[in-house]
Amino acid sequence: MDSESRNNMILGEEKFRYFCLEFLKHSQDIGDDWEWKNVQGEEEGYLSKTCYQTRVTKSDDGKKHEQEDEILSTITLEGDHEVEDDDNCVLPQGSLQSEVINYEYHVLYSISYQAPVLYFRASFLDGTPLTLDAIWAKVHDSYKPRLLHGPWETITQQEHPILGQPFFVLHPCRTNEFMSSIQGSASREGNYITSWLSTVGPVVGLSLPLSYGRTV
Amino acid sequence: MTDDKDVLRDVWSGRIPTCFTLYQDELTEREAEPYYLLLPRVSYLTLVTDKVKKHFQKVMRTEDISEIWFEFEGIPLKWHYPIGLLFDLHASNTSLPWSITVHFKNFPFKDLLHCQSKDVIEAHFMSSVKEADALKHKSQVINEMQKKDHKQLWMGLQNDKFDQFWAINRKLMEYSPEEGGFRYIPFRIYQATSERPFVQKLFRPVANDGKPHTLDDLVKEVCPAAIPPEGGEKKYQVMIHGIEPLLETPLQWLSEHFSYPDNFLHIAIIPQPTD
Repeated sequence: MDSESRNNMILGEEKFRYFCLEFLKHSQDIGDDWEWKNVQGEEEGYLSKTCYQTRVTKSDDGKKHEQEDEILSTITLEGDHEVEDDDNCVLPQGSLQSEVINYEYHVLYSISYQAPVLYFRASFLDGTPLTLDAIWAKVHDSYKPRLLHGPWETITQQEHPILGQPFFVLHPCRTNEFMSSIQGSASREGNYITSWLSTVGPVVGLSLPLSYGRTV
Repeated sequence: MTDDKDVLRDVWSGRIPTCFTLYQDELTEREAEPYYLLLPRVSYLTLVTDKVKKHFQKVMRTEDISEIWFEFEGIPLKWHYPIGLLFDLHASNTSLPWSITVHFKNFPFKDLLHCQSKDVIEAHFMSSVKEADALKHKSQVINEMQKKDHKQLWMGLQNDKFDQFWAINRKLMEYSPEEGGFRYIPFRIYQATSERPFVQKLFRPVANDGKPHTLDDLVKEVCPAAIPPEGGEKKYQVMIHGIEPLLETPLQWLSEHFSYPDNFLHIAIIPQPTD
């Protein structure tokens, strides 16, 4: 098993929990809002984070033609910022509206692939969920070719294996491969979860503060 | 082995007589007659209900129609579970035909995955097959296949062509004799009463002492409450494809013969009927 995990960067379930708990320690230090959710009566669990993102949309001449500007900032509810702050940034016309989207990110362990998997869902403040098309529209252009390349390397809607509810998933089938190239088979002992999440997270709007990389 | 091939065919041709009724609050221009259909157990609801959809849409105005979904006794039916599993889990001790309610409004987006095209079903099916092979062969068999082989698996299921499907699927069922089975058995155990949708663990077909693991070993490990204590009352049924296989059946054999086309053993644990 040892040579196997070195060659192909397999992450065992215990290691997964260990790295998650280490990751959480730093999250708490810097006031990032990750938490560990336990499955009732089991050792099993997952990392979870909820955050809000504000986006400014422009409505031209009341035509409701939505022009998407960049996401101005990622903010957390209990963070120092407030949603309203963003409205002060750009105001060339009077018809700007800001739209707040609630994102929920879960990091689960897949026993089949022996790798972490990123589940997420997004909704407007009234609870209406974002569709897969809306999620795709938010993926930055630079990531799209990579995602469209293979038949399964994409975002799909799937059942959350613990909650039983629909979530979006970045498919994990190549995780072991690319983690081998990132972590290397040598002795570099970084936090797997940090390296992995900082690679896959930005595709779907989740970025990690750089300070995670400085801690082991 | 000839007998075992018959088992594959029997599993493939399992059917459930079903009566589809339009939900009472759907708006129609004239009365909607119920629609009867034999549902293939190994397929998916949204893959085999085009006729049901057309039948009800005939009496409805287009503006009253949005994404179709199905419900049984208040439970939204997950199309991404095989039909046989849905029936075993929710309806196995009710009378036939299975009575399913059809909805065209208020899609329960918190419970069900969207399914707006057959491509979505294909992607779901293929990702299950791929996950199963990750467990069985570290993905080696599925990755060595060509794209047309993947397509043939899907087309075999979609068009109900047993031979077409099994010509490819048998490769996914191979293993070297010295290993005595797959690396791990792809299975999921479902309980309607549980908060979790299903339980999935790493489980080998052969024990450390070389003895083959049985269905009994698996259920004891994953869901011990489902096995009656010695001399005690039987409280649960362990169902696959509408039957209760003997608990002493070797798991490797079950995996090769009782898996659904997605290559998983979908096992429903349900309360023993009391009558």
